Amino acid sequence: MASGTKKKGPQGGKGGGKNAVKAARSTVVTKKGPPWALIAGITAIVLLAGGVFTYAFLQVSDAQKFIASEDNKDPSESIQGVVKVQYASGQHVQSTQRVAYDQSPPFGGPHDGVWADCTGIVYPSAVRTENMVHALEHGSVWIAYNPDKVQGAALDKLKSKVEGTAYMLMSPYPGLDRPISLQSWGHQLKLDSADDERIDQFIKSLRTNNYQNPEPGGRCDSNQTGFDPATPPPFVAEKPGADAVGMDGKAPGASTAPSAPAASTPAAPTTSAAQPSQ
Amino acid sequence: MTDQDTPSTAPSSSGGRSTLVYVAAAVVVLLVGAAAGMLITLAAVGGGDDNPGPDSIDVGFSQDMRVHHLQAITLAGMARDRSEDTEVRQLAFDIESTQLDQSGQLSGWLTVWGQPTLSPPDQPHMRWMAGAHTHSDTTGVDLMPGMATSEELMKLRALKGTEFTVYFLQLMLRHHEGGLEMASYAADHARLGYVRNLAQKIASGQQAEVTLLTSMIKARGAQPLPN
Repeated sequence: MASGTKKKGPQGGKGGGKNAVKAARSTVVTKKGPPWALIAGITAIVLLAGGVFTYAFLQVSDAQKFIASEDNKDPSESIQGVVKVQYASGQHVQSTQRVAYDQSPPFGGPHDGVWADCTGIVYPSAVRTENMVHALEHGSVWIAYNPDKVQGAALDKLKSKVEGTAYMLMSPYPGLDRPISLQSWGHQLKLDSADDERIDQFIKSLRTNNYQNPEPGGRCDSNQTGFDPATPPPFVAEKPGADAVGMDGKAPGASTAPSAPAASTPAAPTTSAAQPSQ
Repeated sequence: MTDQDTPSTAPSSSGGRSTLVYVAAAVVVLLVGAAAGMLITLAAVGGGDDNPGPDSIDVGFSQDMRVHHLQAITLAGMARDRSEDTEVRQLAFDIESTQLDQSGQLSGWLTVWGQPTLSPPDQPHMRWMAGAHTHSDTTGVDLMPGMATSEELMKLRALKGTEFTVYFLQLMLRHHEGGLEMASYAADHARLGYVRNLAQKIASGQQAEVTLLTSMIKARGAQPLPN
């Protein structure tokens, strides 16, 4: 009993201590409530830090958004409405041949061995498409417009983006299904207004973009190449005939295009995928 | 006694300590976050390391001089192909090949610096050069000093024989004089030594060729274009 009492004593003491703790805790909790000041402080700090990060991110993305780099090889991916198609480069046709393009206006595929001059030239009339596509291969941006729909101030605004500007060219494109169409190799953006901010974004993103264009450093001038910017070969409105070169670069007969005649002898191919491009 | 002291003081003292820890940790997170954010920003816009930023003289000079060179290459290429004058063809070949290589150096730098190799469409030429004068062609296009207009290029393409040769020399002279102005400014004001060096070489090379072109024009019975 004595030991029991002894044991009980301290236990009673401890019990009293526990009660005291509980009492103290409950008193503290009751007195202080949730630590609102702490929660508010941490929330404010988190929001502030978030703000700093957001600001930094926006600054970065704003400056870098449309600049091609190793981390941002195709900045046009953040432009709404850009159509992308992968094309093989370096397939050439003769000046007498036509290509049955898969797009209108085309933005890649076989093309004339001679490129349209893209040293910031505004062509007053429509130019042979096969030459324009070669200019795209060298990194230029082609602004095509429907001459029935884009006139006056809108036309002047487009011209100002091209006239005298390196790696830019512009021409009317009869029958274009939208007022304006921008082409870069493998990329197209069709628009309704010359005021659309995406025009500059497209140019920034893709003109001489060494990741997207097949021939970095390709020239735009046309000295002695057979293309005279004063009298360029004209646009042909009629659809290409059965003898046109297919998108695979093969002349009919060698082509698998359904429109190709079942010729027993393949038409003499004048292009070769292996032919070095210029 | 201690049993009773501890329970009564522990909650408030440990609560104060943890508040302090939370606040300190939050401040650290904030500082680290802010610093990282600023570093990311600076690095990405090209001001945080040795790379010049988009508004620097180095970048502006490289973008504009590249475009300026591209037109000289076009002019010289025409003369190299079409002039019947051997001395002019030789000079044209020299100008064309030198400037073609230099324009490649300029675009290479711009790529390494993470900047567009051509000035962006919404940015006027010559922003980097204090006191620069651009000129406008008939359609109001802003052109760098010495640049030929589209009409002048078309006129050159249409000419033949001695008329072609002389007009080429005249356009090339004016082009060099403009380029000289730009290169001299960059040689004095660009931040990076290798940029200043190329700018200096362009300036002195074109200065010598300005003298040569002027004498070649006069030797062919013509005068430099009026300003």
